Amino acid sequence: MKFELKLALRFLKAGKGQTLFIMLGIAIGVAVQIFLGTLITGLQEDLVNATVGKSPHIVLRSESTKITQREQDDDSLLSTEGNFIKDERSLSNWEPFLTYLDSQEQLTAVSPVVSGNAFLIKSGLRSPLVIRGIDSDRADDIYRFEEVTTSGSYQLSGNQSLIGSEIARTYALDIGDSFLIELAGGTSEIFIVSGIFDLGTQGINETWVFLDLIRAQRLLDFGGNISSIELQVSEVFKADQIANQLDRELIGADFTNWKDENASLLSALNSQSSSSYTIQFFVLMAITLGIASVLAVSVVQKQRQIGILKAMGTSSKSARNIFILQGAILGFLGAMLGVFLGFLLIQGFLFGTAAATGDPLFALNIRFNQTMVILLITTLASIISAVIPARNSAKLNPIDVMKG
Amino acid sequence: MSNCLLQACNIKKTYGTVVKTEVLKGIDLSIQQGEFASLIGYSGSGKTTLLNILGALDKPTEGEVKFNGQKISAMQDEELAYFRNSNLGFIFQFHHLLPDFSVLENVLIPTWIKDGTANKNRIERAKELLEMVGLKDRINNNANDISGGQQQRVAIARALINEPSLILADEPTGNLDSDTTEQVYALMRDLNEKLQTSFLIVTHNDHIAAKSDRVIEIKDGNITKDFMTKEKEEGEIWQDLAPCYCKLKDERESVL
Repeated sequence: MKFELKLALRFLKAGKGQTLFIMLGIAIGVAVQIFLGTLITGLQEDLVNATVGKSPHIVLRSESTKITQREQDDDSLLSTEGNFIKDERSLSNWEPFLTYLDSQEQLTAVSPVVSGNAFLIKSGLRSPLVIRGIDSDRADDIYRFEEVTTSGSYQLSGNQSLIGSEIARTYALDIGDSFLIELAGGTSEIFIVSGIFDLGTQGINETWVFLDLIRAQRLLDFGGNISSIELQVSEVFKADQIANQLDRELIGADFTNWKDENASLLSALNSQSSSSYTIQFFVLMAITLGIASVLAVSVVQKQRQIGILKAMGTSSKSARNIFILQGAILGFLGAMLGVFLGFLLIQGFLFGTAAATGDPLFALNIRFNQTMVILLITTLASIISAVIPARNSAKLNPIDVMKG
Repeated sequence: MSNCLLQACNIKKTYGTVVKTEVLKGIDLSIQQGEFASLIGYSGSGKTTLLNILGALDKPTEGEVKFNGQKISAMQDEELAYFRNSNLGFIFQFHHLLPDFSVLENVLIPTWIKDGTANKNRIERAKELLEMVGLKDRINNNANDISGGQQQRVAIARALINEPSLILADEPTGNLDSDTTEQVYALMRDLNEKLQTSFLIVTHNDHIAAKSDRVIEIKDGNITKDFMTKEKEEGEIWQDLAPCYCKLKDERESVL
């Protein structure tokens, strides 16, 4: 193989112009693949992040009156009794769930929630509210209060509350101001604004109020119960699988996940991905054909040399390998150059979009794995494209090519 | 006649499937160890075809070739390639050096083919051979940057690097001027004597033929003459060579 490699390298070096052109061709193709792939991934991440970044990926509610965990050795019967006072079923005895869910590695956030409807009353005005009773530390894993709180703090205790920015605007509420929350049944209680948040969705900013979990339980007459447990997962796109897995584990629990609720977004993302793959496939085809034609010409150009090499004892296998290696070298080096060019393109894109607004349109990260796959596929395709020229080289008969 | 190196038995070669042309019509020939033989004949008489078959570059339609008692017509591609690499050296009319390599590298190529790379000994040997052919100061030149005669001398050094027992040369002086032809001949003869390497040289050059140990003439696919030069007087030799030489001259003139 050493000898074949030596010849392959020398042949490539000798045909400098050809080598350079085809390598540049491969590099441009790969750069487009890298850029396109990164752009699409970046765009999708941005979209998904905007959609589910600051909301639960999976929500656990009670389906029946009793939730049990499948085949546990210990006696931890996770259960809830139905509470039919409210429209929704509620979860009682939910603490064992938290312990169980906390131990699940794929979950990054586990947050119990009490929710209910109420009215906000201030200066004679009245508007509907959605009360979200939370444990502020646990809920922070989902809502990233640090990022979304526009003023004040997000630590909740007693009669403190976090209100949506639209509510604050409509009622001219500021930190330290108080307002009245009234339930349908007539119960009412005064709360103080300790923070104002902007979760990026108009509906939420207009209606949501976060209260301390215990305070909300009391206000909504939940006793020790909660409405649901909100979860986030580390791999957003596996939310449905994880939900199914949990569903098998916890009998009687009802899981909803973001993927089911955003089917149209997902189908848009899918078609975007497949169009990206289509483009990448055709780019790869162009690269492959380019290498094949360059090597085919090279075999013809070098047929006398191959002939003499064969006369001197180069086997047909070696004569073939010389060209297979050339394909591999062209593909690999071209792809490496392409990765570099693709990186430059991405930097250019970030710089270009940042120039207008000060911030890049969205974050782009070259994926190591994705890049390795492209490198590997390009090199493999290059080797395959070298097969026909290499076969011609193997078939050359020394006495035919050395006449005259 | 004790050390028979190469033995060809009843070699026939036919080209074409529909219209058959029989180029060799049953050649029996053996080459001895250390022999310096010339193969002469008109263009188209089958010299090169015979040389290719003896050199395992081509297969006979019928008959068999034995090298040191080994049947080479039965070998498969890879075996055959290895056989050529270790036992034979080739010198062609158009020298066929690889233009992308230096003079030294060209000489080393058969070693690379054999072992993948060349060790110190082989490199030293290549330098020695290049010194023998008078190109010691050219070893790092590109193969294309030296004259035709020099290239042919590099080709000879290359043919010798793996220490083959037989060198097959197809009109090695065919496109060289007469001075250079003389030099190249002297070199081959010298190496033949020093290294005991056998040479079989296809040639149109009767001077070379006359100086060989043995002259074999082919005509229409048959051996018509086969004699040792030392068994004949110089005049006789020239007489034997003359018809061929004259006709060759006629041919040349008719082309002009």
